[in-house]
Amino acid sequence: MRLTPGAFVRVALLLLIAVVLQLSTLSQMPVLGGHFDIVVLVVAAVAYYAGSLSGCAVGFAAGFLLDLLSGATMGASSLVLTAVGYGVGRFRELRDPSHGLLPLAVGALATGAWVLAFAAVSFMLDVGATVSPLVLREMLVTVLLNTLLALPVFWGCRVLLRPVLAVDPLEVSARRRPPRETGPLGLRGLEV
Amino acid sequence: MYDRKAIRRRRAGLVVFLVLSIAILTAYFGESGGGFFHNLQRGAQEAFAPVETGASRALKPVRDLFGWVGDTVDAKDKNAALEREVDELRSELARTRTAQRDAAQLKGLVGLQKEEGFPQGTEPVTARVIARAPNVWYSSIKIDKGSSDGVELDQPVIAAASSDAGAATGGLAGKITKVTGGTSEVTLVTDASIGVGAQVMPAGAAGVVRPEVGDPRDLLLDLVHGGRVTDNAIVVTSGFKTSVGESLFPRGIPIGRVTDVDLDEVEIYQRVHLRPFADLRRIDIVQVLTRRGAQTQTAEVVEP
Repeated sequence: MRLTPGAFVRVALLLLIAVVLQLSTLSQMPVLGGHFDIVVLVVAAVAYYAGSLSGCAVGFAAGFLLDLLSGATMGASSLVLTAVGYGVGRFRELRDPSHGLLPLAVGALATGAWVLAFAAVSFMLDVGATVSPLVLREMLVTVLLNTLLALPVFWGCRVLLRPVLAVDPLEVSARRRPPRETGPLGLRGLEV
Repeated sequence: MYDRKAIRRRRAGLVVFLVLSIAILTAYFGESGGGFFHNLQRGAQEAFAPVETGASRALKPVRDLFGWVGDTVDAKDKNAALEREVDELRSELARTRTAQRDAAQLKGLVGLQKEEGFPQGTEPVTARVIARAPNVWYSSIKIDKGSSDGVELDQPVIAAASSDAGAATGGLAGKITKVTGGTSEVTLVTDASIGVGAQVMPAGAAGVVRPEVGDPRDLLLDLVHGGRVTDNAIVVTSGFKTSVGESLFPRGIPIGRVTDVDLDEVEIYQRVHLRPFADLRRIDIVQVLTRRGAQTQTAEVVEP
């Protein structure tokens, strides 16, 4: 990602929208005990398109903003989302995948890592209450819901960030597309 | 090949952000409620409250729509759960009612045996009705006791009273006509083939009880001789030995109560209607009076 003021504005806007949307709407829409979690998807999408360094920076900022506005323990979300952003970014840098449905897998894995790591951090911070096994069901449902939401979120992030990305993801896809095959010139339509 | 500077920068970035997170976490835990991060949090929440409120209001229709879908799914689940509960309660109610009815019938049968005049020397075998003739004639039933339980052919069968028979106990239901090892067939007194030697108490007139086919609540006392029959008299098995043959039923089993007496023009022939004590329409439990024979009371009379 090119570190321009425009890039900062776009990412800040993206994070703000994601966090506000998460807190004001998505968290209040339970589905089978779980809910959509758009913040981690946005972090994963930015890391996926912009790399590990941007990923961990956006993860930290998103976690900070989330903790700040939700009143949760500050630093916990930042810690986990930093790691998630870095992990997704590194995956992109090392493998350089280009399949169109990859956001589904990336979104699912990032959400899984986020809910598991956040649970681990919460345990380490001593939640002070008995934990129901239903937490596992909630985690699983959240991962499944985020898998459904991954494609549109990644698409939206790509559209928003494309002007400030160092490498255009669409160009990468196009570069990898196999060349179009053509038949011998001048022989079409000349049935003898 | 590797850009060392980029690697270093990337790793440094990761470490910086992780350390920063841990530092914030530690500071947040370490400080009091009025510390920097707590105050920052409060301030940010206050500042963003209008934004969140606006977003919440603007997106309320989305939440409502989603909630409606969720509520519908929940309602379906609840509906299914309630239907299951209703089914369980219904079957429980059915079991309770069945038990109640069985208890009432058993009570009637026990009461019948304690009645004065009921034939002594019999050993009742209680049986449950397992099949019924599939027609309106109520002529035969199948019970779950057979020869292995001491049931034999021609043994009398009694059943509990119907609620409208005017008796609390019960009366004669029929006789055993087929026996297997574990089941028996009972031909009811409403079957056209049956005739029961009977006596009207206390007048003493005797006759033969025959069915009025098609109406299980009405029996006819035919061939009446030995006196006038009056309404509400009780009819019991006579146990007579006559020139026609020996009565199959021991003396003293209640059959029914006289409801109507038709006299012919010269008042010689009486056609007596009686309502059976046993509820022949809805029999669930019966008792077979086994060990009929030497111990039963029979009266020998000479036919005039």
